Amino acid sequence: MKFFSSLRSLAAVLLRRRSVERDMDDELRSHLRCRADDLERSGMPRAEAERQARIEFGGYEGYKEQCRQTVGAHFFETVLQDARFALRVLRKSPAFTTVAVLTLALGIGANTAIFSLIDTVMLRFLPVQNPQELTEVLWSSLTRPGERPAASFTNALWEQLRDRQDIFSGVFGWRSTKFDLAQGGPVQNANGLFTTGGYFSTLGVRPAAGRLFTPADDQRGCPSLAVLSYGFWQEHFGGAQSAIGSTLSLDHHPFQVIGVSSPGFYGMEVGDKFDIAIPVCASAVLDGKQSRLDNRSWWWLRIGGRRKPGITPDQVNARLKVLSPAVWSSAVPQDWEPAWQVSFRNRLLLSIPAGTGISELRQQFSRPLMILMAVVGLVLLIASANLASLMLARAASRSKEIAVRKALGASRSRLIRQLLTESLLLSCLGALLGMFFAHWGAVLLVRYISTAQNQVFLDLSQDHRVLAFTAAVTVLTALLFGVLPALRSTRVSLTAAMKGNEAETPRSQSRFRSGNWIVASQVALSLVLVVVAGLFLRSMAKLVTLDLGFDRSNVLVVTANVKTANIGPAQRLAVYDDMEQRLRALPGVVSVGRSSRIPITSNEWSQLVEVDTPNSPKGEDAIVFFTFISPGYLGALRMTLLGGRNFQDSDTAGSGKVAIVNESFAHKFFPNMDPVGKYFRRNEGRAGVPPTTIQIVGLVRDSNYESVRESHLPQTFFPISQIPEDDDSEFFELRTGSRPAALAPLVQDAVAQVNKGISLEFESLSQQVNDSLVQERLLATLSTFFGALALFLAMIGLYGAISYAVTQRRREFGIRIALGAEPGSILSLVMRDVAIILLTGALAGIAISLATVHLVQKLLYKLGADDPATLGAALLVLTFVALLAGYLPARRAMRVDAMVALRYE
Amino acid sequence: MPDQAQILPGTLDLLILKAVSLGPLHGYGVLLRIGQISGGALLIEQGALYPALFRLVKQGLLKASWGTSENNRRAKFYELTFAGRKRLRQEAEGWNRLASAIGAALAARPEEI
Repeated sequence: MKFFSSLRSLAAVLLRRRSVERDMDDELRSHLRCRADDLERSGMPRAEAERQARIEFGGYEGYKEQCRQTVGAHFFETVLQDARFALRVLRKSPAFTTVAVLTLALGIGANTAIFSLIDTVMLRFLPVQNPQELTEVLWSSLTRPGERPAASFTNALWEQLRDRQDIFSGVFGWRSTKFDLAQGGPVQNANGLFTTGGYFSTLGVRPAAGRLFTPADDQRGCPSLAVLSYGFWQEHFGGAQSAIGSTLSLDHHPFQVIGVSSPGFYGMEVGDKFDIAIPVCASAVLDGKQSRLDNRSWWWLRIGGRRKPGITPDQVNARLKVLSPAVWSSAVPQDWEPAWQVSFRNRLLLSIPAGTGISELRQQFSRPLMILMAVVGLVLLIASANLASLMLARAASRSKEIAVRKALGASRSRLIRQLLTESLLLSCLGALLGMFFAHWGAVLLVRYISTAQNQVFLDLSQDHRVLAFTAAVTVLTALLFGVLPALRSTRVSLTAAMKGNEAETPRSQSRFRSGNWIVASQVALSLVLVVVAGLFLRSMAKLVTLDLGFDRSNVLVVTANVKTANIGPAQRLAVYDDMEQRLRALPGVVSVGRSSRIPITSNEWSQLVEVDTPNSPKGEDAIVFFTFISPGYLGALRMTLLGGRNFQDSDTAGSGKVAIVNESFAHKFFPNMDPVGKYFRRNEGRAGVPPTTIQIVGLVRDSNYESVRESHLPQTFFPISQIPEDDDSEFFELRTGSRPAALAPLVQDAVAQVNKGISLEFESLSQQVNDSLVQERLLATLSTFFGALALFLAMIGLYGAISYAVTQRRREFGIRIALGAEPGSILSLVMRDVAIILLTGALAGIAISLATVHLVQKLLYKLGADDPATLGAALLVLTFVALLAGYLPARRAMRVDAMVALRYE
Repeated sequence: MPDQAQILPGTLDLLILKAVSLGPLHGYGVLLRIGQISGGALLIEQGALYPALFRLVKQGLLKASWGTSENNRRAKFYELTFAGRKRLRQEAEGWNRLASAIGAALAARPEEI
């Protein structure tokens, strides 16, 4: 509020200024007239009297200025004056201004871009009513301390919680999904959303057209209705009213559009947006016989609520704890075996604030964003240092102007203020341009972290927090690069400056030295950034070249979904077999595999197993991860069979249950034994269902299951012919001789011959793996970019400082050469300065690096943050470019023409 | 021109207050009045008067209004406020104390010690 009141007084002063000024003028002039009258009366001619009156009065303007100061109109007026003057000065040296503004725009822009991402991903509240009241409900099994609470619920649990809770004024469930808008063939995915009836009303979202869901729309057996997001409505219907009441095909089922949600609402999940929402009850239409509404082991819904007024988060948690036993007991999956049912009943509900939305992106990127923030901060620091050097150099050339102004009576503080105004103006211009850069940068970054499977959407409008951040950075930067030059350049010795041989005064020596300090600190900071870039690059290189246990190159992954093609469970296997045959016959296809999942995806299938060896792992520890595969799978992915046999066509649904295990499995369950021929039991976890006994027929080399970074998990492979029949989609892996993507149209035609209703998705396996490394790639790319930028800026700084020094010492070099100095000795004279700067900077840089690199350790893969090789390489790079940046001006020193330099005087 | 003394720093305000206390005056009038009551012994650069006048107005010791001068010129007239009157009394007392103390000190003779 203080800000506003001072703003008001500024306005008042500015408005009143004219009248105050006139008043003052009138009064002083009246004084002169009275005095002149008196003098005239004593016999002086009028003209003489007026002159005399003025003389007696003293410095007219000076006194007026003092009066102004007394009244207080002074400050703001001089600010305007300074700004106008600064603008004129900057316009007079367009080259300097351009370089400075561009440097600042890059620096401030980068900072704004990263901060705006941090703001959108981590800080900003959802654009809904009173977001701070929103809460997400989670559960914890309490079995493992420190375990992260889980967020997904079954429909039964949701219904129990909805009916029993009394702490929320509204409660809702939702689930993001994908809807296929096509009628078969290549999928056309839209971002789908299942919502319970209270979703929109609890969040306070209003319809932009038509109406939104109400609890009445969310009843068992409900009609198939859909609500569109505003963006989707605009894109697909051009915002036409006729969209309401029209029909959309979602996963091959017709849905009627009843309304459009308000613009600016994208859903609960930050980084994601929904296109089409349907009520939870309508999932029955999509699911068919196995409905997720009734399946008590189908964990899919997330639950949110709005706290009642006056209820604290702690009270919510306390109440949820009390409600837990009843909620869980009423939703027990009856087919689970008894021991599991007991642990199910003991699970606990809890809650966390959800006002800023829910975000996978936040977990994945908050640390990288923080690190990038630090990186761009350092870049801005280095850029500021460059500007400070530039300003110092400029100050030297402006010393005469400063001296003249000082001689005319400007106070030092007034001059400093004037120079700082110039800096601030530069900084503001930079910030304005930087805001544009920032917007483009942020958009580019979002595109960069988007993958085919995961399109990231962020609302990147720059809100007040981003603006405040940028303003603060702008002012800080201006002070950073403006204060030192302003202080130094106003400390001129008048006589020396006026005489024009400022370069000869001993003070110029000290100015040069302060320039050196600035450059050394730039060298130090840029070394830190180069080290960080080196670490991320090496870590990335390790990940990219890592042997995953399969060959990802030249493999096209085809996801085929038969659920929508009216193929009964009984015929599915035959259809898949038919497809496999046809794909194998395609030109360019080397081999074809088929599986229930593909590696390096989060699609996880796991079960507990038992073996009869002594001291074998039990319970949770005996978890294995599995994949159903065809006989061609190992060949298509070039996985190595170490022992036993591959699956064969003779392994059918009816034949004995068999499995191939990996080395980690063998090591864990059959240490120091050959697992081939041994048996294990798969616990189905169902009450009354005995464990299945399975024989191990083969052993494969370890491969990665979920991520590139994981340490190998115990895995088993089962024949895809023995897959449970409720299997909607399968993956085909096509090893090709050429570019995988080129095969897609052929695959499409081949599958259409089997059944036109089968929907298909294509992606190359290498792309899939690359996409899983998006975080690492982002860090490696950006840190390299900013590291290079920092190095470049620092080297410009170094180049500038040495050039300046060489120019200053031209006469000295001329004399030395005239006295017979070898060019080589002149060169070494200059390079000694370079070496001192480099050495000081590098030492400081090493110290800073070693003290701070542990911050990035968590993001590195099998690489110590204090890795000496990386540090060494960074030092080499730095030394090389520094010597280069120093050598160029040093060469000029060597070539100084003694005659020319001496004649200069 | 008689011998004139530079006025001591800080005493200008006191002189102005005193001059104005004898009746409302415009700026030039203040100057003349000070010359008159000090017997022309004090030298003030004319312009220096105005920052002081502005300051006293700002401090609320004087108040100003526009009027017409004795030779029909539009002029700004100053008069004492209540606070100004009080301040004048205090400052005058302080000054007198100081002056008599200094006077006594300067009048001291060796035999008195």
